[in-house]
Amino acid sequence: MLRLTLAQMRRSLGRLTAAGIAIMIGTAFVAVTLIAGAVITRTSYDAVSASLADADLVLLGSRDQGLSAEDVDAVRETDGVAAVDGHMRLWTELSAGTKHAYPDVTTLASDPRLDPQVLLDGRAPERSGEIVLPDRMAERLGVEVGDTVTTERSSWVPADAADADGADGADTAATDGADSADSADGAGAAATDVEGEWVTRTERLEVVGLNDDPTGAFAQTGGAVVVHPEDAERWALDDTMGAPVQYTEAVVALDADADLESVRGEIEAAAPEGAVLRTKDEHAQAKTAELTNGADVFTTIVLGFASIALLVAALVIANTFQVLVAQRTRTLALLRCVGADKRQLRRSVLIEATILGATASAVGLALGIGLAQLTLTVLGGVNLDVPLPATVSVTAAAVIAPLVVGTLVTVVAALAPARGATRVAPLAALRPADAPALTQRRNLPRLVIASLLTVAGVGLLLFAVIGGREMDEVLALGVGVLGGALSFVGVLVGAVFWIPKVVSLTGAILGGRGTSAKLAAANTLRNPRRTAATSTALLIGVTLVAMMSTGAASARTTLTEELASEFPVDVLVWAPRSLSAVAEPTGPADDTSAPTVLDQRLADELDQIDGTAQVQLVTSIDAVVTVEGAEATGPLRVLPAPAARGVLLAPDQAEGLDEDSVIVSQGLAEVLGVESGDVVSLGATTLDRTGGTVPTGESVERTAVVTEFGQGFLATPGTLEAMGVDATPNEMWLRMDADADPVDVVSDIQDALDETTVSVAGAALERVMFQRVIDTLLAVVVGLLGAAVVIALIGVANTLSLSVIERRRESATLRAIGLSKAQLRGTLAIEGALIAGVGAVLGSVLGLLYGWAGAVTVLGVMGDVRLTVPWRDLALVLVVALGAGLLASVLPGRAAARTSPVEALAVD
Amino acid sequence: MDSTTATPSGHAPASGAPAAAAVRARGLRKVYGSGEAAVNALADVDIDFAAGAFTAIMGPSGSGKSTLMHLLAGLDSATSGKAYLGSTEITGLGDKELTRLRRDRVGFVFQSFNLLPMFTAEQNIVLPLELAGARVDPAWMDTLVQTLGLADRLTHRPSELSGGQQQRVAIARALIAKPDVVFADEPTGNLDSRAGAQVLSFLRRSVRELGRTVIMVTHDPSAAAYADRVVLLADGRIAGDITDPTPESVLAGLDALRSLDEPEAAMR
Repeated sequence: MLRLTLAQMRRSLGRLTAAGIAIMIGTAFVAVTLIAGAVITRTSYDAVSASLADADLVLLGSRDQGLSAEDVDAVRETDGVAAVDGHMRLWTELSAGTKHAYPDVTTLASDPRLDPQVLLDGRAPERSGEIVLPDRMAERLGVEVGDTVTTERSSWVPADAADADGADGADTAATDGADSADSADGAGAAATDVEGEWVTRTERLEVVGLNDDPTGAFAQTGGAVVVHPEDAERWALDDTMGAPVQYTEAVVALDADADLESVRGEIEAAAPEGAVLRTKDEHAQAKTAELTNGADVFTTIVLGFASIALLVAALVIANTFQVLVAQRTRTLALLRCVGADKRQLRRSVLIEATILGATASAVGLALGIGLAQLTLTVLGGVNLDVPLPATVSVTAAAVIAPLVVGTLVTVVAALAPARGATRVAPLAALRPADAPALTQRRNLPRLVIASLLTVAGVGLLLFAVIGGREMDEVLALGVGVLGGALSFVGVLVGAVFWIPKVVSLTGAILGGRGTSAKLAAANTLRNPRRTAATSTALLIGVTLVAMMSTGAASARTTLTEELASEFPVDVLVWAPRSLSAVAEPTGPADDTSAPTVLDQRLADELDQIDGTAQVQLVTSIDAVVTVEGAEATGPLRVLPAPAARGVLLAPDQAEGLDEDSVIVSQGLAEVLGVESGDVVSLGATTLDRTGGTVPTGESVERTAVVTEFGQGFLATPGTLEAMGVDATPNEMWLRMDADADPVDVVSDIQDALDETTVSVAGAALERVMFQRVIDTLLAVVVGLLGAAVVIALIGVANTLSLSVIERRRESATLRAIGLSKAQLRGTLAIEGALIAGVGAVLGSVLGLLYGWAGAVTVLGVMGDVRLTVPWRDLALVLVVALGAGLLASVLPGRAAARTSPVEALAVD
Repeated sequence: MDSTTATPSGHAPASGAPAAAAVRARGLRKVYGSGEAAVNALADVDIDFAAGAFTAIMGPSGSGKSTLMHLLAGLDSATSGKAYLGSTEITGLGDKELTRLRRDRVGFVFQSFNLLPMFTAEQNIVLPLELAGARVDPAWMDTLVQTLGLADRLTHRPSELSGGQQQRVAIARALIAKPDVVFADEPTGNLDSRAGAQVLSFLRRSVRELGRTVIMVTHDPSAAAYADRVVLLADGRIAGDITDPTPESVLAGLDALRSLDEPEAAMR
């Protein structure tokens, strides 16, 4: 029997190959997912533990306590410990000319095993005032070994320590002339209660070396500088305002002959309460689990898509086997005649499926591993911040799972056709080959199940959509997903009833005249089940693609509108308020404390950028408005009235702004209890360290105008002058051309501001950010679903070539009575395009509905949802499906055209 | 046996000659395979088939009767020699011209009917015209339907028709485009004797009453007896020619062949 199975497989090699490709793609998908998951896990393990270098143990301080210097010393004195370093969180701003960087600050590790960084050039800092920079940062700052960079530190100087000792070698520039010093630690933990003031000083640091961060330990901040412990200590004390420095963690290297477990026990015994001791791998595992919430989200999601691809592949396989069995009817019947029993026939089909599944899965697995390795190699060539392994590590799970799944799916898909094989009557061997009868078997249970699922699913979906706003968000989403899944399954189960009708109707409408179209439409009706299965395979992929892009488009539109109401302008550029401005609020910002001045020159520069329509300098100060005892503080934006109306996204927010009025936001108007037309008094104010407000300048009387302006107040430069405040502009508002691409404009603006310390925000920026996120997600998802669509299209080609074989005599008859080769190819092309096109159109419509339902359910909490039709994406899906349907008909069409008309005369 | 000296280049239209040949073969040869395995299916056959006549080609299995028909109908290419449909030499035509020829000037009736299962009887009948983009002549359609007794079967699909009915639909399909000649390949092979007799008399009526030309391949002497003339083939050569045959005369002719070559009959 096995020999017979193999012989039959050899005869059907072509068809089996086509089916095998489908299962191969699915299996490769699974394999790539598992391997990529392993790589990602390894990479994230390495990434989260990179700062530990080759430490044997890491002692983590509790969240609120950290580790004191004594705790670290205690570890150091433990037997078997070779070296220990305390890590603390410390950043500083470095400047060289007009360029700035904000690196992590570290000190030289006491043992090479504890040092994640590599010195490339020069030497480590040997005394205070020396620094080692990451080479890329040095390049960006334009400095080399031997050059000087500056850092600006501000420290709290208690009043009684104001005339303490000078600092060691640091060039100080405190505003009150007093030196700040590390002697401040004498002030103790109660520093905040003590009278004192903030002092800013600029320290010069000589670059003595350049280093590299090969494992990406400091990738998030663009690298870490290394300074002398003395400097690090002093800066840390600046940040704690004199309180003792706390370490977040201590990394431990052991002596070569030390026993890990015993040292571990000793350190644990001496460690402060709440501290945790872990090995490097334990730490990586715990940290990763923390980040991913304990679940491997990536792998789970992608495996979800892989299972969709496999489901589609299963449909294609089931289809193929059904036809294989139908084609072998005579052979099977003959076997029954000579004594084969039903079980043997079923086993034969299943063995065939197993061989096919196992072979295709093995090829798919190899393909998957190859693809993963190729991707790694390509990524390795690209300079990424994340260090990736050079070769894939193939785990047992990554090998076994795809093989088992691929084979299993194939066998399960072949179950129904195998049952079909047992139904072949021995008599069929003796019957002459009749014209195949068109049977329209009514399968009532199937119809009932399909209807029930669809109705129940749609009901749940509607419940989630309509009731979503009153319900818990997560519950609504869950109900929606359940409803969507149920109704989709219902639609798929019922596909055999309605898809062939839609296909033939479409064919009848499209090709009322042409004989080819008429033949094609009639042909699709001959085997409704097969037409349905083929279309359904495509329908699944297309529905999901369309759903995703519809959801994404709706989310985009909805969020864009949300943002317009949240942000007054497209792009907002602002300079951080300098610390000295806090200390001396009424004075003009001086150059040392406000490194970047927003001036007309910069404004003009931004105005030159393609896509910016208007750039307006704005002065923003804190202001307080009082009326009849009520008081409200908020930012006061100052700009000329016409400019305000020009640059704001909603010009009516500045309606009524003139020299005698002040625009008050609705929120603050409610606090104050004012309405448009009320007279209020407006004055500048400043916030002090404790959060209180200190009025400065003079109060002026202005008429309040309440508009939808987002936050704070809006006034003209004349008003600011009347308030006696002389402030330079510290914000720029930009409006973009309506047709400009925000992605391009924002990145151009960011490029222009690259070397400055200003920040960029605004509706356009947010829009760009979430658009990027949505687009990236969409691209990934569509890419993943693309595999399902490709498999489905293989299914279309498969179905067509099976049809060609089945209809050999018919094709020959048609050729004999005058159908030309081109017409015959045309018939198949139309059939392919019909099956694919209907699958794509129905999928698009279904996807659109599901996408809308999803958007309403998910985004409903945010406000009104705009339902968008992603015409471009849908058109693309259609074109691809139709094109692929046509393409899928090329080879079968050629095979059919080769059919000689003589074959019509053959008796069998 | 026709021994007229063939003038291959001279094929003047047979004007004024009512019994002009509808189909002619000159030195027609077909060899299957090559070298040692080469089989001479047809060896230099010269024959004329008169227009407006019902001719049967008979012969034992492997005698080359099917091959002759394939070549005459332009379904297969000859190794050498020429075949003419009227004045058109079909042995030199390409696939496109042959397709047009089959569409407009040749009709086929098959042993296993070969109706398209998804179309009704009427749709099957008019299919050749649709392929040619031609209009249906309602009077001719009506004549065919009445003659073949299909009036109440037109809306039925092949699966709802008996074998005899299906073959009658196939005959109507073959005649709808008023072809120069209809080739019928064992038209009664899949029919019981009553239905077969019916089909044969329809073929004869289409020649006698509707003026068509029919060439039929058969191995059944009683079927061949419906024809005006029977051509006997053996070993790829013309082995006999019977005019106004009866079942008895055909059988006698066949027996004469069999005694010459016994083993051939066991070939199929």
